[in-house]
Amino acid sequence: MGQQEKSPANSNPMQRVKVYYLNDDGKWDDQGTGDVSVDYLEKSEDLGLFVFDAEDNETLLMHRIRAEDIYRKQEDSIIAWKDPDYATELALSFQEPAGCSYIWDHLSSVQRNLQFSAINGNTFQSMNSDLRELPTIELASLPLLHKMVIESGIADQMRLTELLLHDQDFFRKLMELFRVCEDLENLEGLHMIYRIIKGIILLNSPQIFEKIFGDELIMDIIGSLEYDPEVSQVQHHRNFLKEHVVFKEEIPIKDSIVLSKIHQTYRVGYLQDVILTRVLDEATIGNLKSIIHSNNAVVVSLLKDDSTFIQELFARLKSPTTSSDSKKNLVYFLHDFCNLSKSLPMVQQLRLFRDLVNEGIFDILKDALHSRDNRLVLTGTDILILFLNQDPNLLRSYVVRPEGIPLLGLLVEGMITDFGDDMHCQFLEILRSLLDSHTLSGQSGSIIEIFYEKHLGQLIDVIITSCPSGGTPSYASKSSGSLGVKLPKNTKPEILSNICELLCFCVMHHPYRIKCNLLLTNFLDKVLLLLHRREKYLVVAAVRFIRTVLSRHDEHLIFHIIRNNLLKPIIDAFLKNGNRYNLLNSTVLDLFEYIRKENMKLLIIYIVNSFWKDLVKFEHLESLQAFKVKFEQSQDSSGSKSTGNISDPRRRIDERALEKEEEAYFNEDSDEEDTASASLSCPEKTQPQPVRSNGVSPSSQPISKSRGLVDYEDDEDDGDYRPPPRKQPEATDEDGGAMETFMLKRKPARERETEMMKKQRLNKNPKSKDSVFAALCSTLSQAVLPVEKGSKSARPSSPKEGNPNKSSGDKEGQSGDKEGRLAEAASSGSPPDNSRPEEKTRNEEPSSHRSCSDSLQMTSSDSTRQMMAEEIPLVPSPPKSSPEMALNGSSLEI
Amino acid sequence: MSDLDRQIEQLKRCEPLKESEVKALCLKAMEILVEESNVQRVDAPVTICGDIHGQFYDMKELFRVGGDCPKTKYLFLGDFVDRGYSSVETFLLLLALKVRYPDRITLIRGNHESRQITQVYGFYDECLRKYGSANVWRYCTDIFDYLSLSALIENKVFSVHGGLSPAILTLDQIRTIDRKQEVPHDGAMCELLWSDPEETVDGWGLSPRGAGYLFGGSVLTSFNHSNNIDYICRAHQLVMEGYKWMFNNQIVTVWSAPNYCYRCGNVAAILELDENLNKQFQVFDAAPQESRGAPAKKPAPDYFL
Repeated sequence: MGQQEKSPANSNPMQRVKVYYLNDDGKWDDQGTGDVSVDYLEKSEDLGLFVFDAEDNETLLMHRIRAEDIYRKQEDSIIAWKDPDYATELALSFQEPAGCSYIWDHLSSVQRNLQFSAINGNTFQSMNSDLRELPTIELASLPLLHKMVIESGIADQMRLTELLLHDQDFFRKLMELFRVCEDLENLEGLHMIYRIIKGIILLNSPQIFEKIFGDELIMDIIGSLEYDPEVSQVQHHRNFLKEHVVFKEEIPIKDSIVLSKIHQTYRVGYLQDVILTRVLDEATIGNLKSIIHSNNAVVVSLLKDDSTFIQELFARLKSPTTSSDSKKNLVYFLHDFCNLSKSLPMVQQLRLFRDLVNEGIFDILKDALHSRDNRLVLTGTDILILFLNQDPNLLRSYVVRPEGIPLLGLLVEGMITDFGDDMHCQFLEILRSLLDSHTLSGQSGSIIEIFYEKHLGQLIDVIITSCPSGGTPSYASKSSGSLGVKLPKNTKPEILSNICELLCFCVMHHPYRIKCNLLLTNFLDKVLLLLHRREKYLVVAAVRFIRTVLSRHDEHLIFHIIRNNLLKPIIDAFLKNGNRYNLLNSTVLDLFEYIRKENMKLLIIYIVNSFWKDLVKFEHLESLQAFKVKFEQSQDSSGSKSTGNISDPRRRIDERALEKEEEAYFNEDSDEEDTASASLSCPEKTQPQPVRSNGVSPSSQPISKSRGLVDYEDDEDDGDYRPPPRKQPEATDEDGGAMETFMLKRKPARERETEMMKKQRLNKNPKSKDSVFAALCSTLSQAVLPVEKGSKSARPSSPKEGNPNKSSGDKEGQSGDKEGRLAEAASSGSPPDNSRPEEKTRNEEPSSHRSCSDSLQMTSSDSTRQMMAEEIPLVPSPPKSSPEMALNGSSLEI
Repeated sequence: MSDLDRQIEQLKRCEPLKESEVKALCLKAMEILVEESNVQRVDAPVTICGDIHGQFYDMKELFRVGGDCPKTKYLFLGDFVDRGYSSVETFLLLLALKVRYPDRITLIRGNHESRQITQVYGFYDECLRKYGSANVWRYCTDIFDYLSLSALIENKVFSVHGGLSPAILTLDQIRTIDRKQEVPHDGAMCELLWSDPEETVDGWGLSPRGAGYLFGGSVLTSFNHSNNIDYICRAHQLVMEGYKWMFNNQIVTVWSAPNYCYRCGNVAAILELDENLNKQFQVFDAAPQESRGAPAKKPAPDYFL
């Protein structure tokens, strides 16, 4: 858009091209920029390509179009050919892909005509001679005019366009004739006029559009298009536009240009979407769209600069005397206004939005969101999204101010409110944008604090109250009771699903802020209540939440999960799902895979120790086999380590001490678990073991058995189940240890004694003989030789395992980095981020002119440039020398 | 007539549903799709269809050629949306049929069933234009996440939108993909939806698409052999003849969008498998102009600007 403005006023961006010659060195020389056209060569009947530089008044290129097939179209914006006259390769690089396809189409049809007339003699010459002038407009000459419009070849079309533009009275007279025909009910004439007008529109000349879409003619033009001979019934477009369409004008618009543009925009849109949908070709649609686009830009920019208009608008919105209906309409107007401002250049749009913020638009929207009128509320959210797409910090810095805080509350409330049939997924999107750590700027960071202090609990409470065995909500009463949010008992499942999604988002974006909540208020457990819901997609959502938490690789959280046996409900859900191969099955298996591939040893040991006797039924699944193998490997490695660095012995002792306490917890939990899951798994035992019936190809089983996913060198494990030692030596670093002691302190000493007793009881368990031995081995190896580190860092298969020797700060840095990547993946799943939709609107055309293959954009922060480049042809042209590459690059510079 | 049947009738006229109806439909679809597997079992006889790309009237032509939905059982290989004029109506009709006749139609995911891609190739803009907000797009893209990734017909024909992945040697490995997510930029899920077979490639090659891989005959042979399947049926690439066998009948591409983008001039095809897995391709042309109904859509009758 910016480029377009710089070009001379009379120049059409569709025609802007750069001209390149291939020089002797095989490089492309830039010959300058100008406007391309197809026209008759001087003193000749032949057509040529011209590029004229209006600023320097210089012809950059004059090329006679040839019948031979020498032209190539590259990408969307380059036409190149080997020019016999210049004796080199020439190329035109277009500013607009639409312009390129327009000229390409012309070129092709000139070529066709050339080839055709070579065969057929002079048919077209004779037609040309008819085109010296237009016939006088009268009923009798309609057939001739009809013939001229309908039957003209491409060369004639250009001539015809010229003639039409030169004859000032042509359209006025034609429309007079139309009215006469209509009065006389001369259907034949009307059909002919329909075809003439349709043909003229398809000439796709911006100058003609300017004429026929002017206030004076457009209604008659639309009238003439009511008489489509191919549709049996006469359409009543004028009637619809005059009688049914209401132009709402809450604040009177005084500027007649603005008014005229507003109406024209609607009518051209109607023409395009309704009257001529099936008729228009893409190039014409492109031109109509650009009329609408530039009209919108003019309207918005004239209105925004009209200070009395804006002042009156906001005065009316704020005035207590304005009726609520009128206020509603004003908000709807604001929505249209903000929406159309997408047609402005980015900078102007941002300035406009800032001005609107200063006028107090957010106060207005806050009121709108307070309303009970769903449509008004949702329109309010749509406007907020427009602002967030422009710059999330505009809304953020409002929301952290005292007057803005209620708005955040309303948004959270909106997310958990039942809007009945209405869609209200915008709330989730708005909250996500507000809380997005990637776009967060310094001052607005406190929005995170506000959200966590006031609203997180609210969301958790919704889960608690709507899940069986949820108990009583405890958070709202503590933290946000003052807001007095009602918690409905029967929350719609989609709301719960949205909450869960937002929580996952929070885990990704504010890992350190949310950690406290996860640990101290046990809200992790509460989210898992969703596992008890009937709706399977909520169950799956809860599993995914845990998966997201694990992806943080945060040892405290992992401890917490293990200590509270939080995976139990997940395993239970998995077992209950049985052999059904559905999304739940896959999601839990994915969780196992993740734990295995990330080599999260604590979890591997926890899972196998606590749940294997139930999971063993599913051992035929590749991923569970591999999981087990991984477990055994970890046992092996912890039992047989013999070398490593000697680190500070004092530290080792401290760690040992901590580990013992940690071990105590561990044992307590798994012990409880053993009994619990045993009783629970009883009904499952009747189920047949193999899952052949459900998605596993029987033939694939031997293969999967013979070759697991894991290809470690020590794969030859016999696979015998050896109970593991009940502890994980490397799991404690200083940070984790500190947390453990912190947790310990919160437990009364008596409880710890019980734990010790449990541990002893456990040792009586017959199967734990090996376990004691293994534990002993690993304890010994730990105590004597602190090997874990050395061997671990030497092991390439576990790159994500942090080195416990590193300081915790360092660790946080690492996982912060990971957060970036994972969050990127997650945010690609989020609705349109800033750049996309805007890029699209500012760039109307490319999508419709692209070739038919597609490719994936690999980064989400791309721009027009990449959108153009992304379409790689299915069959890539053989790699040529640099010229094309150079050309591709330079085409962007125009 | 139930609401759903009425909606199906309405969609068959290429009239989009109301937002509230879309919402209800999507929620029902979600409950059904969540029970499907990543490799969805399909019994023969079944008719397999490739890319549709929002070419609504051409899809109606497809149903005319292949038979109406509950009568004929269908498997659609993804890419329902983008590029054509009527992605909304196309996808909603397929989804409504899925909800109405869950066992008679299977929809698996294509690379265009993605938030990122639909923002570039038209579905997002179409929703915005037809509904005035992106909500319908949000609901539909949420449903995309639940679509199955592949199908297996009678243990013998493996169907997927794009092709193979170097991470997937056995069908069982597809099982462990948590598919409820945006199509990632790499990894098994991405590759199943993006890869292409390529004669000139031996083993695996880089894809010019920027996602997925090119794979050659040796890869196919070993995949088909180790999974004991006869051949792979996929879509994803325009073939002018509507379908195309490659690598000695080890893989077939089925393309069901005639005159793709309304200008490519290709014919389309569907593959009918009878109960004995005998193959019959039905080739068809774009729907004739006159069968394309008058546009039902009128713009909002009031406007501020």
